[in-house]
Amino acid sequence: MNEAQTLAVEVTAIEQVTPLIKHFKLAALGGAALPAFSGGSHIIVVMRGAARIHRNPYSLLSSPHQLDAYEIGVRRMEESRGGSHFMHDQVKVGSRLEIAHPVNLFPLDKIARKHVLIAGGIGVTPFLAQLEDLHDGQVPYELHYSVRSPEHAAFLRSLRSREGDKVRMYYDSESQAIDFDGLLSNQPLGTHVYVCGPAGLINRVTTTAKSCGWPDSHIHWEQFSAPPVGDAFEVFLARTNLTVHVPPDQSLLESIEAAGVEVPYLCRGGVCGFCQTRVLELDGELLHNDHFLSDADRAGAKSIMPCVSRARCKTLVLDL
Amino acid sequence: MLVTGIKSKPVYAPLRADIGGRHHLMLASGPGAAAVLRVLGELQRSAPQALGNTRVLMAPETRQAAAPFKLLGLLGLSLFDDTHALLGAFRGVLDESLMGTRLYVAGPESFIGLAMKIALEFDLNKDEIRAEEMGSLARRVYCVHCRTATEDVRTNIVRCTGCERWLLVRDHYSRRLAAYMGVMADAEAPGELPPIKEVYL
Repeated sequence: MNEAQTLAVEVTAIEQVTPLIKHFKLAALGGAALPAFSGGSHIIVVMRGAARIHRNPYSLLSSPHQLDAYEIGVRRMEESRGGSHFMHDQVKVGSRLEIAHPVNLFPLDKIARKHVLIAGGIGVTPFLAQLEDLHDGQVPYELHYSVRSPEHAAFLRSLRSREGDKVRMYYDSESQAIDFDGLLSNQPLGTHVYVCGPAGLINRVTTTAKSCGWPDSHIHWEQFSAPPVGDAFEVFLARTNLTVHVPPDQSLLESIEAAGVEVPYLCRGGVCGFCQTRVLELDGELLHNDHFLSDADRAGAKSIMPCVSRARCKTLVLDL
Repeated sequence: MLVTGIKSKPVYAPLRADIGGRHHLMLASGPGAAAVLRVLGELQRSAPQALGNTRVLMAPETRQAAAPFKLLGLLGLSLFDDTHALLGAFRGVLDESLMGTRLYVAGPESFIGLAMKIALEFDLNKDEIRAEEMGSLARRVYCVHCRTATEDVRTNIVRCTGCERWLLVRDHYSRRLAAYMGVMADAEAPGELPPIKEVYL
């Protein structure tokens, strides 16, 4: 993925749907159709701020049958490095943005006999698009949607009108919690579970499903990590013969890009593994923040996911 | 490569109890009963409470073969006269089974294949199924020309029961069809066949 492959879009509508979430509609310039996608896909939105460029992944929440515009939901993050604040504060109706083509790292399983979707907060967005793919099918499904309080239940009205009692709500404010064990110990064979939301929710679902005997292949989750802030460090790119400084609030990938070197990426959130880069030399330690590398990979210290991971080191040489 | 060295050829391993499962479903045909009995013993030792969540469907060779199972006091033991009846009931059991079920299959390869084919319709995957081959290696052979499956094939070359072509039996296996692929053996030189030998006994 690189800048040449982005699409230019115009913001045609913005709605504040909860105190923290804004709903954006992005149409192709000139009214052209946007590329087709499947439910669960995300796009990278490129935001050219005054000081720096942000590239954040957002799930598409609009129907895969609607290609005149894409829709995304952006939650204002308290500890934002700037991306979500840019979307909330700088972007207006009529603003132009660049987006990367949709990529699906969170698809529905095509041969599942039942789908159980579990959303926490803004994690509902990929499911909104997936549900559109489920309407015409014969496969049963249900959505369990957990939020802090009723005012934080984004998109609930349209969910209710489209899905009726297939949506089950859980409000923290009313001490309602998903009965994970009851839910996951009582599903017919061939059920797949999908979870998107905060790390704690994803952990609960995956560990409960495993303890109920679910195989990994029936457990699906997606969580885009924001690149964490850390100490500054320097990296040497061996093939380019270039030293790059990585400041505390910029990711390794962003710093390399800012130095004019392209790294292939898809999700920028530590999920897809596309930006995996070989470590040629290291004096220090790698701070892995991705969801992709195995424990064995990490122990070997032979590769790093520059989108979210950092290093605490005297020397780091990458094969770039 | 035409006949052997093909990755789709199923690989079996001795059955082991998987206590990571919440429910256990065991199928045994003929000599497979011994393997299932062994797993039940293993469950009884390592996780005795799991026997309460265990169902066994078996088509034993003799009435005596079922006796040790009755001694275990299993609530879910069903006996069938033949594998056909067993596989018919298996579908109904899967329909009522829950996620967290482990499937254990033991018996001749063709029986394992047919059981797997049904399990596949319920989206069970290799993490949820284990199989041990016991008994005949006779194959179900699918004619790639007329799509008929010829049962109980013991030879390297077989006459298709559908179109009567002579088929070369390959190791190329289809889980969906539960059969090995048979391709016309004398297509280029009609009537010229390699020696016919019994190889799948």
